[in-house]
Amino acid sequence: MKDTLHLMAVYTKTTAKAWFQYRVDAVLRSLAVFLREATGIIVIWFTLLKFDTLGGWDIYEMLFLFSLLFLTYGIMIIFFTGLRDFGSTVRDGSFDRFILRPRGLLFQIIFVNSDWFAAIGHGGLGIVLFLISAGKVGIQWNVFNAIYYILTIAGGVLIQGAVFLLLAALNIYLLLTDSLKELLYWNMRRFAGYPISIFNRFIQIIMIYVMPFAFVNYFPAQFLLRKSDMAEYPEIYMYLTPVIGILMYLAAYCFWRFSIRFYKSSGN
Amino acid sequence: MINFENVSKYTLNDITLNIPKDEIVGVIGASGAGKTTLIKLACGLLAPGSGQVWTLGKDPVKYRRKYASDISTFIVGTPLLNKEDTVLQGFETIAAIYNLTGEYFRRRYSVLSEKLGFAELSESRVKDLSLGQKMRAELGAALLYKPKLLLLDEPNVGLDENGKSALCDTLKQGADGGMTVLLTSHDMASVSRICTRLAILYGGKLVFYGSLDNLRSRYLPINTMAVHFIGRVPDLDDLPLRKYSLEGNTLKLEYDSNHITAAEITALILKQTEITEIGIHKPDLEELIMQIRGEK
Repeated sequence: MKDTLHLMAVYTKTTAKAWFQYRVDAVLRSLAVFLREATGIIVIWFTLLKFDTLGGWDIYEMLFLFSLLFLTYGIMIIFFTGLRDFGSTVRDGSFDRFILRPRGLLFQIIFVNSDWFAAIGHGGLGIVLFLISAGKVGIQWNVFNAIYYILTIAGGVLIQGAVFLLLAALNIYLLLTDSLKELLYWNMRRFAGYPISIFNRFIQIIMIYVMPFAFVNYFPAQFLLRKSDMAEYPEIYMYLTPVIGILMYLAAYCFWRFSIRFYKSSGN
Repeated sequence: MINFENVSKYTLNDITLNIPKDEIVGVIGASGAGKTTLIKLACGLLAPGSGQVWTLGKDPVKYRRKYASDISTFIVGTPLLNKEDTVLQGFETIAAIYNLTGEYFRRRYSVLSEKLGFAELSESRVKDLSLGQKMRAELGAALLYKPKLLLLDEPNVGLDENGKSALCDTLKQGADGGMTVLLTSHDMASVSRICTRLAILYGGKLVFYGSLDNLRSRYLPINTMAVHFIGRVPDLDDLPLRKYSLEGNTLKLEYDSNHITAAEITALILKQTEITEIGIHKPDLEELIMQIRGEK
C-alpha cells in the first residue's frame, strides 16, 4: 500500500513536470481549451437574451447545468486520459509495457498520464460557471446540500469514467471505437447542456438509460433547483447519481477485466 | 529458463528450443523471420497458436504479473522510458514501479549510466535524444532491477561500435552474475561476439541451434593460415591439410577445422622451425548466413 502511494506520487510528479515544462505554453493551451468550450456557452447566452427561458429554465439555471458537466469532465480527465486515448496507448506500445510490469494495468493507465490542459480548461470553466450561477438560482446552501453536491460530482465523474473504460475495453475487440466514442459520448454531450425535457422522447431515453448524461447534470440540478419539468420523471432519479456511477463503473470494470484476456500484441 | 515446445505462431513454425540458465543466446534471422514474435512469446505478450512455452517453468501468459520482477523485456516498439520524462525521471519511475530502495537505485544508476554512457544525459528529455543515446538509456532501464531473465529484441539497432562493446561487456557481466539472456539480431557479427549459443531462424523455422564453434564446423569448416618462419622449411606431409604452398618464408595452409586445429598445426611446425608470425583467417559469418539460405 505504501509503495503504491509512493508510485502514485512519482507518476503525478513526472506527468505534471512533463505537461508544465513550458509554462507559457501550458497557460495558453489551458486557456485555449477554456475559450473553445466557453464559446458554446456564449452562443447560448446570446440566444437566451432573445428568448428569456428554454423549457422554463433561465440563463443562470442553464449555466448551473453546464457547470456540472464541465466540472465532472475536468476531474474525470485527470484520471481517465489514458482511457480516452486508449487507441494510441495500444499503438505506441505503452500498453504492452504496462502488461509486463508488476503493477495493476488499470492503475498504470490511470496514473501514467493526465491531460492537465483539458482538466484546467474544462474544470476551470466549470468553476467559473458555478460561481456565476450558484448565487442566482435560489439554492439555499447548507451542509446537507453541500454533501449531496460533492457526492453527485463524484457520481458524475464515475459515470463518464465508466463510459471511457467500457469503450477502451471494446477497443480490444473492435479497433474503430473512436467513431463510437464520437457518436455515443461527444454527440450526446452536446445535448447534455440543455434540460432534457426540451427534447423528444427518443433523445430523452438515450440520455437517461443509454448514455446517462441526465444523471451527470440534469437530475442533480433538479434536486437543487426543483423545476416543474421534474414531474415528468420519477422523483427517485434525483438521488441515484452516486449509485449509478458506482454500478456503471463496476460493470465497466468487470467487462474490462474480462476483455483484457483477449488482448493480442502484434507480431512485430 | 525458457522452453519452446513445438511452438507455432504467426510466421514461426514448429519451434522447439531450450534456453538454459546463465547462457547468452542470440537469435539471428532476417526481418520477418519471427524474432520479435519469439521474444513476445517468451515474455507472455503473445500466446502460442499451438505448442507450449515455459518461462521460468511456468506459462508466461498466465504468470506474467507474478514473474514481472524476474524478467525484463526490451522490444524496440515498446519503449521502457516515457518520452516526455527526463532520463533520470524515467529511471526513478521504474525504480518506484519495481520497489527499489533509494540507495540501491542510486548505486545501480551510476554504474549503468557510466558503463552504457548516458550519465551526462540524465537531465535530457527522452524525446530529445538521438536513436543511439535512446538505445543506451533504454538498455540501462531494462537492466535496472537486475532481472533473472533478460529478453532483448534488436538491442544493437542504432548503437555505434562503442555502444555495442559496452552492451557486450554489460551482458557478459550480467551473465556471470547469474542472468540469462535471450536476444535477437539481424547482425550476425556483433551477436556472435557475446553469445554462448546461437539460434538461426529462417522462414519461420529453426535451422540451427548451438555454439559458434559448432556453427563454424558445420557450415564453414575451411580456415586458412599464413605462417612466417625463420629456418628450414617444415615438413607437413603427415598433416591432413587441404592444400599448402610456400612463398619465400611464408607457408600458406588451408585446413578443415573438423579434422585438425590450428594449435595442432602450429605445434608441429614449432618442433621443426621458428615461427615469427601467424595469421589465421576464418570465413566471414555473413557468408555463413548466405550459405545456410542457399541450402534451404
